[in-house]
Amino acid sequence: MNIDSRAAVRTPEQPALRSGALQLKEVRKRFLFDQRELTVLTGLNLDVRPGEFLSIVGPSGCGKSTLLRLIASLDDDYEGHIALDGRRVAGTSLERGLVFQDHRLFPWMTLEQNVAFALIRRDMSAAARDRLVREHIALVGLSGFEQAYPHQLSGGMSQRAAIARALVNEPKVLLLDEPFGALDALTRVHLQTELQRIWMSQGSTMIMITHDVDEALYLGDRVAVMQAHPGRIAHIVDVDLPHPRDRAAPLLHRLKDDILAELTATDAPRGEAVVPLTRRRPG
Amino acid sequence: MSAALRRYGGGLPARIALGLLVPLALILLWDHQARHGGEHAFAFVSAAQVAGALRELWQSGDLLTAYGNSLRNAFGGLFWGSVTGLAVGSAMALLRPVDWVLTPLYHGLRQVPLLGWLPLIGLWFGSGDLSKVIVVSLSAFYPAVLYTYEGLKGVEARMLEVGRLYRLTPWQTFWRIRWPSALPSIFTGLLQSVAFAWIATIGVELLFPTGFGLGTVMQHGQLQARLDIVVVCIAVVGLTGFAINLLVARLSRHALRWRPVRT
Repeated sequence: MNIDSRAAVRTPEQPALRSGALQLKEVRKRFLFDQRELTVLTGLNLDVRPGEFLSIVGPSGCGKSTLLRLIASLDDDYEGHIALDGRRVAGTSLERGLVFQDHRLFPWMTLEQNVAFALIRRDMSAAARDRLVREHIALVGLSGFEQAYPHQLSGGMSQRAAIARALVNEPKVLLLDEPFGALDALTRVHLQTELQRIWMSQGSTMIMITHDVDEALYLGDRVAVMQAHPGRIAHIVDVDLPHPRDRAAPLLHRLKDDILAELTATDAPRGEAVVPLTRRRPG
Repeated sequence: MSAALRRYGGGLPARIALGLLVPLALILLWDHQARHGGEHAFAFVSAAQVAGALRELWQSGDLLTAYGNSLRNAFGGLFWGSVTGLAVGSAMALLRPVDWVLTPLYHGLRQVPLLGWLPLIGLWFGSGDLSKVIVVSLSAFYPAVLYTYEGLKGVEARMLEVGRLYRLTPWQTFWRIRWPSALPSIFTGLLQSVAFAWIATIGVELLFPTGFGLGTVMQHGQLQARLDIVVVCIAVVGLTGFAINLLVARLSRHALRWRPVRT
């Protein structure tokens, strides 16, 4: 299945293919650290296609998380241009969802209340709200645990709940900041498969940050490779395989070797080997 | 400690029995002293005498009247002290100017022992029930302020960020995130307020001679050298404090049932 055939899975009233395009132009982020100015991100250009799954990998400290915080507008202090469907982003918005590495569920709320939390500012009937919450709990496979408190859930279940909370608003863009980074290897593999299924059944554009190159390739339509000091996108890799994918696909392994070689290279030359972002992948 | 208790002590009945062990031993020792203590015997009264005093106070109705009056003052003071404490603590935690103006004053006033206020309060409000309730309020007020302030200040930034992400209004942020996140601390404060309020209730009755509460009965007992009456009052005060504490702890556990059970 490619992007086009995914459209068939979506309900007709979801205009998701027409929206969820994220554009970053010359984004630059500087921090004042210890009286010194530290450039965390520089010259960052990125066009994320509607409905696409984009993975971002990069070494620690390359500004990956900062990038997501800028897109989510948790941090508004940057130079450059970030726009969703042509409109510059300003302030947090229910159109841009975010899943943190730590699930950040509220311990005093049940799973159901945690998911419903995302809908506080939405104007809708209680019945509609309940239905949305129920649907999204089912989507992440947690039906039956509605009344459980977070401390009663496993790490994997908590992260599923966090994904349900982020998706219940049906955001145009879902940002995932190393969502499975704190989970054990087995749970991680399982949740990757689940996330692929959720993404395919749902219209959001997804941008996921990860340390795990396997994960990035398995899920991503494209993988952006970042470099540190200062943080920038060095390279974007097209992963030309239909979803759902087979982890054993030879292409994934070949691309993994390439990316790992690039990430572990001591002096990666800046600006070289950048694939033009506008290039459409075939199919 | 509690794991060992569970292992060797079995369930709740066993724990209650263990908790009664030392008090019972002390009562036996006391009773023995009263009957065979020789020259010290005047400072002890036998269990039989104490039982007699209890019957006497119960039949005259004095015990019930005094108990009712003390409880009324205690709960009145606890209520006003906690409510104003919650309000002041919240204001200090949430409004920076209030924090700057009131927090140093609060920490200064807190150093003055409750007894130090008695002359002033007596002068301003007399020595009636109003003064007593004010003293009790004050004793409940301090912990309420402190723990409300600490609780609301201690809200994790990462939790507040989730509120920002979903565009909560300041009121929603308070009610949905700050308040529940502060509740464990606020309940710790309430437990202290309850304990201090009850102690202050009896203390102020001993020091302000008007009215008729358990402290008054105790003092009359002392003046008439009726040690048996004093002992009855001490027992009633102790047991009541124990019961209120248990009640609030239960309430707190119910309100905070979302927390993982700690062993």
